[in-house]
Amino acid sequence: MNLFLASLGFGLVTAAVLAIASVGFTMQFAVTDVLNLAYSGVMIVGAYVAYAVNSAGLSVWIGLVAAALAGTVLSLLLNRVIYTPFQRRKSTGITLVIVSLGMTLILVFGLQAVVGGTNVSYSMSQGPSLRLGGLQLSVVQLVIIGMAVLSMLLVHGLLRHTRLGKAMRATAANRSLARNCGIRTDRVVTLTWAVTGALCGVAGTVFAIDAGSFGATSTQLFLVLILAAVFLGGPGQPYGAMLGAIIIGLGTEVSAAYITPEYKDVVAFVLLLAILAFRPSGLLGART
Amino acid sequence: MRIHDRNNATSSTLRTGRARRRRALALVAVAGLGLAACSSSSSGGAGTGPITIGVLAPFTGADAALGPNYRVGCLGATHALNAAGGVLGHKVSCKVVDTRGDPADAVPATRQMFATTSNLVLVIGVTGDEAASVVPIINANKTVVVAMTGQSEFDSVHFDYFYRLVAPDLAESYAMVAIAKQKGYSKVALAYGNDIGSQTFVKPAVASIAKAGMTLTDSETLDLHATTFRTEALKIVQSHPDVIFTEALGSTDATFLSEVKQLNGGTMIPVVGTQATIDPAWFKAVSAAVGASTLATNYVADNVSVDFTGPAYKSFSQNLNAVASQVSGGVTPYLSVGGTVHLYDGIILAALAMAKAKSTTPSVYRPFIEQIGNGTAGATVVSNYADGVAALKAGKNIRYIGPGGPTNFDSYHTSAGIFVLNAYDSTGAVKVVGTLTNAELQAVTP
Repeated sequence: MNLFLASLGFGLVTAAVLAIASVGFTMQFAVTDVLNLAYSGVMIVGAYVAYAVNSAGLSVWIGLVAAALAGTVLSLLLNRVIYTPFQRRKSTGITLVIVSLGMTLILVFGLQAVVGGTNVSYSMSQGPSLRLGGLQLSVVQLVIIGMAVLSMLLVHGLLRHTRLGKAMRATAANRSLARNCGIRTDRVVTLTWAVTGALCGVAGTVFAIDAGSFGATSTQLFLVLILAAVFLGGPGQPYGAMLGAIIIGLGTEVSAAYITPEYKDVVAFVLLLAILAFRPSGLLGART
Repeated sequence: MRIHDRNNATSSTLRTGRARRRRALALVAVAGLGLAACSSSSSGGAGTGPITIGVLAPFTGADAALGPNYRVGCLGATHALNAAGGVLGHKVSCKVVDTRGDPADAVPATRQMFATTSNLVLVIGVTGDEAASVVPIINANKTVVVAMTGQSEFDSVHFDYFYRLVAPDLAESYAMVAIAKQKGYSKVALAYGNDIGSQTFVKPAVASIAKAGMTLTDSETLDLHATTFRTEALKIVQSHPDVIFTEALGSTDATFLSEVKQLNGGTMIPVVGTQATIDPAWFKAVSAAVGASTLATNYVADNVSVDFTGPAYKSFSQNLNAVASQVSGGVTPYLSVGGTVHLYDGIILAALAMAKAKSTTPSVYRPFIEQIGNGTAGATVVSNYADGVAALKAGKNIRYIGPGGPTNFDSYHTSAGIFVLNAYDSTGAVKVVGTLTNAELQAVTP
């Protein structure tokens, strides 16, 4: 019972990190039409920006803000310099996926060439461990869960209660129609890259805080979990990504307690396949 | 253009004929040069062209920290060789070949190394990650390899060109159990990475723990690509071990051990690591995650003895310092890395064998590795390459004893060395904190 409760707590932490990352990823995909696999590359660059700030003697939480800014700038650059020219040439979706895959490798191994192969950690205290029943979480892990909740509320507020959010939803639903209705879709797309880039930078830093030790290639496998959460919830569905993150996070950690933890990523995909078998468009995806 | 061709058909044919002849002559010349190159390479020592040592190891991937240790050993050793005039007049250089720690990448990388390096005389590195797949290829290419793998299959399968100056994993697993016993621990948990090189420790460790009358509380396999190991850490903490045996490179041990500490109420459980954990990258990652002083007081590893005081070590450190500008971050962290020391020794040993054989051809110099490593009656002991060459020129038989201590190759070309206990201080410097006797090892050998 203790192991179950503890793994439930661990699952919440994993779900929190995954939720921040996958909500940004799916919003980006919905509005920009780019399945940006370089997202994991931007994440780890963000994590290293936070590390640089932290290494300069500042708090990692200031580093997190810097990572958000770096994520924004890098995502805007990716869009402007790489993806937009391809989209203008009417490149197919699969071409853009391959381009983004190439960008992931360029970002990750370019970063590795700069920072080296050694893993690093932030200078920060995890705080005391708090125990509640079988749950065992550190203060920092509770902060991560809190940040995820806050991020989700902000995304909800943005999408439901702001003009930009409504324009994002309209652009995601039908870009041509939105443009005909007077929405400046190019501007919306650019702002979406900025917002999701910031989320990506935050996700990278939170990921690195949670991992405790990280290197330039650390987010490569995490991208697979992000994709699982996004497609489980329904691609392009921010609320679906939140739900997907919770299912994947809890599913992987709880399963790890009872079967060998080596298979926890396999469990994520078994869950994905099982759900897609019944709902091919994902849990909150549009029914076809 | 076509009209011009038609009008000049005859001259064109003549030109074609001449061109063919020129091409044929060029081919003959190239083939001749190729043969000459092959002949120079195979006869060794006949020419004075440069020769190459391949550093075949993981430089990227989860075990990326291993390759740089070996490269530094190669740089230091080749500096020693070149400072003494090279090997039989040949200047020596190192060529890095990345296996990514994965047989699927290692095999094509090895084949490419042979295809593109005609002056290759020696290969070093080769960890447990790739040894099983690349050693047969190297052996088939009749090139000597001084490997770092501890895999036990090399204890019973003979490869003519395979040598190693590290203990087999079986022996290392027993050494870890002997250390635990020496320290008074009775309950052991295992946490090894899921790579081939780390998993090879598990079975012998389990058998040895049983033989020692100790209790195995839990055994977890750590996925080197995973980002957290909370469940594995909790299972181990809840099994209440006195000590954890581990080898999980990359960021894995750093994350895992920090989670163990957190889930154990902020208190670290003592750790016994393999010799692969005596590594600057491992120390940097783990000490950043759990705290340097925590690591210094709770960690010990087995290692093959290195003499940090004698003339051999002085020569080793001088040669490493001489190449410091070629090593990012300097060479200081590598001065106590077992892999760096042993491969340095392997290169010097092979170079002395070349000098003795008067050939850089592996099939010719290979038998002298054992002779110079193990020594013969009345052999003059030398501790560096220059002294060895001078003694050979004086007509003496020699035995090379480098900073890694005396070698004693068995019939499978393994020289296991003597086990010592290493620990880090809080700055990451490695210190010897004990030794293991044969009796202690025998007591835990199944």
